[in-house]
Order: sequence, then C-alpha cells, then structure tokens
Amino acid sequence: MLTYHPGDSLAHRLDPRTKLLAQAAFAAAAFAHTAPRGLAVLTVLTAAFLAAGRLSPARAIRGYLPALPFLAAGPLIATVNLDVSALSLGIEPNAAVDPLLASYRVLLILFVSAVYLHTTPVRDSRAAIQRLVPGRVGHLLGVGVALVFRFFPLLRADLRRVREASTARLGDERPLRDRMRLVGATGIRRAFARADRLALALRVRCFAWNPTLPELRFGRTDALGFVVVAALVGAALL
Amino acid sequence: MAAETESVELVGEDVVGNVARAALFAALTGAFAYVSFPNPISPVPVSLQVLGVFLAGIFLGPVWGGVSIVFYLAAGAAGAPIFAGGSAGIGPLVGYTAGYLWSYPIAAALVGAVVHGFDGLDDPEVVATTRLVAGMLAGTVVIYALGTVGFAVVQNVGLVEAFTVSALAFVPFEAVKIAAAVGVVRSDAAAAA
Repeated sequence: MLTYHPGDSLAHRLDPRTKLLAQAAFAAAAFAHTAPRGLAVLTVLTAAFLAAGRLSPARAIRGYLPALPFLAAGPLIATVNLDVSALSLGIEPNAAVDPLLASYRVLLILFVSAVYLHTTPVRDSRAAIQRLVPGRVGHLLGVGVALVFRFFPLLRADLRRVREASTARLGDERPLRDRMRLVGATGIRRAFARADRLALALRVRCFAWNPTLPELRFGRTDALGFVVVAALVGAALL
Repeated sequence: MAAETESVELVGEDVVGNVARAALFAALTGAFAYVSFPNPISPVPVSLQVLGVFLAGIFLGPVWGGVSIVFYLAAGAAGAPIFAGGSAGIGPLVGYTAGYLWSYPIAAALVGAVVHGFDGLDDPEVVATTRLVAGMLAGTVVIYALGTVGFAVVQNVGLVEAFTVSALAFVPFEAVKIAAAVGVVRSDAAAAA
C-alpha cells in the first residue's frame, strides 16, 4: 500500500500544492500526447519524478497492482475482431497499438501519483485541498477529508470483525444477498453510532469554520516545480 | 502557524451533524472497498463500494449523500487507500476508473432524489420498495454508463469492448446489491438512523 514515508528528497520538500498541480498538468500532457514520441518524453519525466521522490518503480507499481489486469485487458480485447453476422472471429494485432499506448499513458499517470502519495503527509494534503478550493466549500472538503482518514480504519476494522464472526458461525454458506445485507446493516449501524458520537464531540468542542492548519509556504524548490508545471501545461495546450 | 484568532465562526448545529454523517458514510464506502466476494465469472472479485453509494443516497438524501461521496473521492485523491483494490491518489481519478469514480457522487445524489424527492428527508423505512429499487436502478445505469464511456475514452477502445472489460462481469451483482440494500433498509439498522 502506498503511504507517506518521511524523507528529505526533493519531492518531499516541495509544497503539496505544487505537487497536486504537477500531477494534473502531467495527466493533461499525457492525454494530449499519446503518441510514442510524447510518451517517451513523459517516461523520462516520470523517471525523474520517481528519482526526485526516491521511490522505486517496483514499490510504486505494487500500490496499483489491482489496476494491471484492466490495463492489459484493454489492448487484448481490442485485437479480437468478432463479426456476429458473418459468424467470424479474427485476431487483429494492429488494433492493439492505440489501446496499448493508452494503457501505458495511464501507467505513467499512476507512477506520478504514487510519488505524491509517497512524499506528502495527510495533514499537508488536507491543508493544500483547503487552500486550493476557496471559501466554505474548501473548508467543508478539508474537514471531510480529515474525518475520512480518521474513521476509515475504524470502520474497516468493524466490518472485518463482522465478517470473521459471521464466518465462524458458517455465515459463508448463506446466500450472497444475505451476506451483503449483514455487512451492510452492521456497517450502517456502526457508521451512525460513530457519527452521532462525533457530532456531539464536535459541538462540545465548538467546531468552527476556521481551524489552524499546518503552514504551507512555497520555497525555492517550488520555482523549479512551477517551471515543470508550466512546461507540461504548455505541452498539453500545443 | 496561520491561526485565525480574530473571530471564531462556529459551524451551525445542523451542519455539524450532517458533516459527521457524510464523513462517516464516505469512510464506510471506503471500508466497503475491502469487503470482497469471489466473482464466479471474473478473476476480479466483487466489492461493495457501490452499496455504499446506494446507502449514502438512501440514508443521507440527495444533497448530503452526494457530498458524502465527494468526501470519499477527495480523501482518496489525498491518499486514503479507499478506491477499488485499496488504491489511492489522483491516478485513479484520471485513469481508466475515472468514469466510475466521478459517477458515484451523481449516482448517490440521484438515488437520494428518487427516494426522498427534494422536500426534505423521509424515513427510509416507510419509503415504498418500488421507489427504493427505482432509485438504485437509476443509480446503477448512471454508474455503468459513465463508467463505460470513461473506460472507452481513457483506454482508447470502443464502447462494446469497454463494457465487456470493465462492466460485464459486475453488472449481474448489482441486482444482488440492490436486494441487499433493500434488506438493510428494512432491517433494524435503519431504526438507528
């Protein structure tokens, strides 16, 4: 699983806002230039990003392992040429080229977002989101993100306990619908109970719209980051 | 520290409760991504995220149900491992799963709108089963339509191929999820809402 690892690499020192913008610009450039030449340049850039975050490609790809079958399936299925009216089934290797390039572009985008996850603590991400999205909406989003991070592991543990208890009582042999209903009903009950306690706690502590966030400041390395962002945006627009 | 000390603006009573519920439902949807059942027709297992989307619409209504799933997407983008298969980051939001993920808030709002209308929330327990099922069917159509189009655009394949790869093996299980969601609403769990 890809999570934050403390470090002092170049990517660690960048402001999270710069990194978010760089990801968006990279994705835009990858969609604009899905030709072999464009992707070659972006591959070099991806390697530079991975080096800047001192993240090995193997670790990055392990975080997105479940995506790989889908990335492989697109090009594979494009080669199958099925004509129902003529009842013929052919294989056309050339048809795989475009979907293959598209899959590769998604792979590069996943590498780049892995660097972000590896180098950015949650608190900084929350502060960046709250500062990038203006006004109340940004505050609401920031609070929501922070609470999801806080409660996701608890609810996941709740659900795991339910499933273990159910398995111990041969719940595995019940129909799929019943098993889903059991997990869903318990999840809802736990979520509501936790939400009520949380709401009470927030009211007691005078939950306000203006929290104290970690300070974010653009540094000298961010200037380099902005050059990269500008180049990527320029490439995407050309 | 950029602490704001001049004035403290308290969040309103109703909003606090709704924010807490929306955030908890977003976390629940994320936890559902880890609840997987073996899929007899595909190597990729069936997970329950979509059930979380349905339940957010049913229990929180069109507005806060939608907000809840927006929290889910934002937290996933910021690095919570809550997308399919425990992935996270901006990548899934612009990759081949983009259509599916961006359709979730729309689907949750739509389910909420069909179940509750726009004149305040009804108690889900007293809503007719046909209305619940209609809402979730509409949500399913939105999710798979946007998901398939998203997959086709991002992966550069035709719509039929996109549907075959990304949806075909999962659509039958949506019926089971809809039945399970009706069961959840009709069980004691709804009494806690």
